[in-house]
Amino acid sequence: MRIKHKFASKMKTLATGTALAVAVLASGWVAVPQAIAAEKIKFYFPTSVQGRLAIIMKEVVAEYNKSQSDVKVIAVYTGSYAETGIKASAAMEAGNPPAVAMVGANNVLEFVQKKQIEPIASFLKADNKTSAEFLQDFWPGVRFNAMVNGELYAVPFQNSTPILYYNKDHFKEVGLDPDTPPANWKQLIEFGKKLVRKDGAKTTRYGLMFPQQVGYGNWILQGFVMANGGQYYNTEYPGEVYYNSPTTKGALQFYDDLAHKYGIMPDTVTPSSQVAADFFAGRTSMMIASTGALGNVRKNAKFKYGVGFVPGNVRNAVPVGGASMVIFKGQSEAQRAAAWKFVSWITSADQLGSWSRASGYFSPRKSSYDMDVMKDFIAKYPDAGVAVKQLKYTKPWYSTYNYLAVAQPMGDAFQAVITGKSSVTQAAAAAQAKADELLAPFNNVAGYPTK
Amino acid sequence: MANTRKRSFPAALAFFVIISAITIIWSGPFLWMVVASFKPQTFGGLDMASVVPNFMPTLANYELAWMSADFVGLYINTLIVVFGILSVQLVTITLAAYAFARLEFPFKTFLFYLFLLQLMIVPPILIVPNLKTLVGLGLSDTLVAVMAPYFASAFGTFLLRQTFKSIPRDFEDAAVIDGCNWFQILRYVLLPLAKPALVAFSIVSVVAHWNEFLWPLMVIDSPDKMTLTVGLASFARAAEGAADWGLIAAGTMIVMLPLIIAFTLFQKQFVNSFMFSGIK
Repeated sequence: MRIKHKFASKMKTLATGTALAVAVLASGWVAVPQAIAAEKIKFYFPTSVQGRLAIIMKEVVAEYNKSQSDVKVIAVYTGSYAETGIKASAAMEAGNPPAVAMVGANNVLEFVQKKQIEPIASFLKADNKTSAEFLQDFWPGVRFNAMVNGELYAVPFQNSTPILYYNKDHFKEVGLDPDTPPANWKQLIEFGKKLVRKDGAKTTRYGLMFPQQVGYGNWILQGFVMANGGQYYNTEYPGEVYYNSPTTKGALQFYDDLAHKYGIMPDTVTPSSQVAADFFAGRTSMMIASTGALGNVRKNAKFKYGVGFVPGNVRNAVPVGGASMVIFKGQSEAQRAAAWKFVSWITSADQLGSWSRASGYFSPRKSSYDMDVMKDFIAKYPDAGVAVKQLKYTKPWYSTYNYLAVAQPMGDAFQAVITGKSSVTQAAAAAQAKADELLAPFNNVAGYPTK
Repeated sequence: MANTRKRSFPAALAFFVIISAITIIWSGPFLWMVVASFKPQTFGGLDMASVVPNFMPTLANYELAWMSADFVGLYINTLIVVFGILSVQLVTITLAAYAFARLEFPFKTFLFYLFLLQLMIVPPILIVPNLKTLVGLGLSDTLVAVMAPYFASAFGTFLLRQTFKSIPRDFEDAAVIDGCNWFQILRYVLLPLAKPALVAFSIVSVVAHWNEFLWPLMVIDSPDKMTLTVGLASFARAAEGAADWGLIAAGTMIVMLPLIIAFTLFQKQFVNSFMFSGIK
């Protein structure tokens, strides 16, 4: 029977496939022998500013592993900040947590709330230090996000603020002083109007762009709201946001004016990758972006660029961003010790300094800037110095319960204002209503968790 | 053209225009990616979005991408995962589909719908429960853990059940008269006739698991057990800075290449399978 014969061979393939699958199954169950003296710990890290930093991070960890024989760190790339948070949390719940993870600075609260991370004080005790003493060397702006209810839970690792990048060639072309970036909103509009280029009704060059995807855009907006004198969340308590306050609405109105009244920025939502690409291509003369993009700008701008403070309105103020190292619960005593050893090493002034030079993030430790390598570097790249000078205006990154969900309505609001789909009043009111609803379950229940 | 029906000229023209438009729209991003992957410097210049090559092609992006990850290891892991899932799925869906199509047992329809409900569950919801199970089984950080949640497929079972149901009973009756038991019927009668459905399902399964990102990212910790998508993201993703499009395009090409080659080689068979499994 022909059909029979043909099918027999098919079944054979199927059987082989199954055998293969069974073999693979079996191999997974074979325990891997662990005949190594060094304490193995897992370290989760996300992609930061640019993808290639993930490769540098692996090199840094390899260097650490080579430098000593007590601890062997396994560096695990874990996607974006959000994915790293999900993975670390899920692994913890499943009973298989990493020893150390690098998490978004404003995610620390959530891990504390879920009782998943260790307070740093317990490790400092062994070194005979208090948290306050330990934090002495860190810039005041980065301390807040590492603490929950007065207790230190994270060690800042890479930090950034928004900063203004501008194209000096364009400034010269329109008769502006290439060494004087706009200092306030009024000048931003004035300069912006001069820098815009039009071809008929079509804008071929914008005055200003900044990232507007949800998340990154919220962080930038926080800067504008603070520059306008306000704060769009309760800095004392993470269960309340001020999306409908006069200062927030003022910032949104400024967006509306930039996009529609003056046409200085596009009336479409621009994600960070487009903003940077447009800046490099000369399609926008100024951009506000993270200092973490400095390395990237240094490498890719084919023109003379300048860096300045983000223009203020009633005051200068920028939020701090970036990531911190946290140590997870559920470790053995030896693993805990190994984890702290690694965290201490990677957050030393020396390591933070070299990471800062490779990435563009600023080092959260003041002492990194006392080192000669750093002084030489800033002499060579003055833009890195501007980022440091702006540090005196930094304020904490907004961090609330259920952060990702609460950020969404504000993201929707500023996007709707930029695209002209909604008025400022409507958008702000809608965002506030939605956020209140999301935060309601956290209010009037037991507040901060205890250890 | 294989189509023997004769169209009137305006109809043929309209058909041609619509098909061309769809093809161009569909292939645009892909063509752009191919061009970008060979572009020397992909940031500056207003021509970044250009699909028309206007430069000396360079392999620099491919070189950089290839150096950025252990692609040989990533390919092997991905192949093990994809074909491991598929081979187990083919066994489970065949048996399940046969049961739902031909056997009689209490609450059959109810159980079948319950089974189909699986299609409506958003996979990310299952991340924590699945991880707990796998850690409990001692399978965390293994390729088996990447495969395990997909060993049973509601979609495959549904597709194959419908195919079995469309095969006339007469064939089986004839086989029974010849003395076949249920397994022989399945083996010699039903499965050969369901081949197009099996091929169609295999393609969907392979492509889906080849492209999967979140679950492997959640399960795998060891860099040497990563799959292609995770490996690509580890060097090509940008969070705050500008995307290095040349590198991303080249890396994506490397990831896609085996699938593209397979599809080009077996295009005819694939298309036929989809047609048959759809028509029946």
